[in-house]
Amino acid sequence: MNEITNNELKCTIALAALQHVDDPEIGLNVVDLGLIYQIDFDEPGHQIYVSMTLTTQFCPMGASISSAVKQALEQAFPGEQVNVNVVFDPPWNNTRISEEGQLFLNRR
Amino acid sequence: MITSTNSLVKNTSYKIVIPFYLYAALSFLIAAVLLLSAAGAFTGHYFNPHILAVTHMMALGWGAMIILGASHQLVPVLIEEGLYSERLAYASLILAGTGIPLLAYGFYVFNMGWPAQWGAILVNAGLAAYLVNLTVSILKSRHENVHAVFVFTAVLWLLLTTLFGLLLVFNFTHSIFPKDSLYFLSLHAHMGIIGWFLLMVIGIGSRLIPMFLISKHTDAKTLWKVYYLINAGLGAFIFIFLFFPNGLLYALPSLLVAAGLALFGKYCRAAYRQRIRKQVDDQVKLSLLSVFMLAIPFASLLLIICFLIFNGRQLNLVLLYGFTIFFGWITAIILGMTFKTLPFIVWNKVYHQKAGLGKTPSPKDLFSDKIFRSMSIAYLSGFVLFSAGILCAEVAVLNVAAFLLLAAALLYNWNIFILLAHKPETK
Repeated sequence: MNEITNNELKCTIALAALQHVDDPEIGLNVVDLGLIYQIDFDEPGHQIYVSMTLTTQFCPMGASISSAVKQALEQAFPGEQVNVNVVFDPPWNNTRISEEGQLFLNRR
Repeated sequence: MITSTNSLVKNTSYKIVIPFYLYAALSFLIAAVLLLSAAGAFTGHYFNPHILAVTHMMALGWGAMIILGASHQLVPVLIEEGLYSERLAYASLILAGTGIPLLAYGFYVFNMGWPAQWGAILVNAGLAAYLVNLTVSILKSRHENVHAVFVFTAVLWLLLTTLFGLLLVFNFTHSIFPKDSLYFLSLHAHMGIIGWFLLMVIGIGSRLIPMFLISKHTDAKTLWKVYYLINAGLGAFIFIFLFFPNGLLYALPSLLVAAGLALFGKYCRAAYRQRIRKQVDDQVKLSLLSVFMLAIPFASLLLIICFLIFNGRQLNLVLLYGFTIFFGWITAIILGMTFKTLPFIVWNKVYHQKAGLGKTPSPKDLFSDKIFRSMSIAYLSGFVLFSAGILCAEVAVLNVAAFLLLAAALLYNWNIFILLAHKPETK
């Protein structure tokens, strides 16, 4: 029970850190854009595993965005090894954008 | 369920791509200076040394070089496979980059001897290096997609166009063909305009437009139809030109290409309607406007065909046709797309290591929006005025319009300089 709470807390910290990582073209952060699929913590191994996607498989900024996710988490969790896996299955679609994200995109 | 495939393609180095953009920017400026110096020539025949120099500077130095640069960046993304060789990319830049000014100089002073001949040889060598690089990259890829097929076919047409151009240059001094080079000019021009530019712009644009609008629209079936219609139109044009040159028959290839364009317009409209981002920025607006600007050369072409059938050739309509293609459609799409693609390349170069460690500017903050708007106004007014000047054969109007186009070229180069000189800033 204690471990689950700890994981949830870490997940909240990770998502808060990732809210500072924007998709440079859209100007919206990767969390509200719905690009982050899963974050797992392997505490004994000091590893963080992130599954994320991009708005399009053809995104030329893909390497930069995934590297920004890695660096943001490394900064939030010093001493942990961050492994980012970019996946396209399931593909991203606009239903993954948060309500705040939708409002932001409607304004722009 | 999430299927794990870390399938990010290695980006082509900015060191390859940026020199192509720089070369193209300078070519646009030189072409605008040449246009100003030769504006009066646009009241006469289109087969004029200065007009030929401006046209080749625009078609090769501006249009082809920037597309070559952008495609080195975009093709690996389209085919999900890295670029085969960076050395071949540099070879194409150096060879074509040396050949283009020689060729343009040859036309300007109308010396069809060594400057034009060596220029044409070097351009062909550069494009052959590019074709080899592209072909091997595509063969290495296991993912066939319609965009890559468009690009590959476009490059084949480009090489055919420039090889034919090389023969036309030698035809001035060696009588290779039974007729003079002027006779074959429209064949050479249309292979380049339809085969190279149109296929390339549609191949890349059909991928970029939905991407920049954040639209989920994809319709490969429609794009394949566009592909077959345009290639059939060009094939029909070449066949008619070589075997049955008749004004009325030229309506057939024109209609085939028009049908392809109408389908592409429908594709763009669907992408626009399904966009997630509601506001469309100025760069995408200018690029979308270029699709509609194609209506002007098309209307001129239909009028040219009508005059061919009933009356004979109308020189000012032929000039308008060429001008609205190179300074209209092609230039508008490049002016818009430069500031959608180059900022990303520069951003990747400057902020790749810093992303995620603090707030970074967005790619659109790396250039001046104010200069972009002033450039767009100078360009659009210069374009409209020059077109009017061609139609009414008025030198004063042509001069004012050429001055506005030169101002647009200067502003474009200024903004490119701001972009490339950007220094990192993080908050």
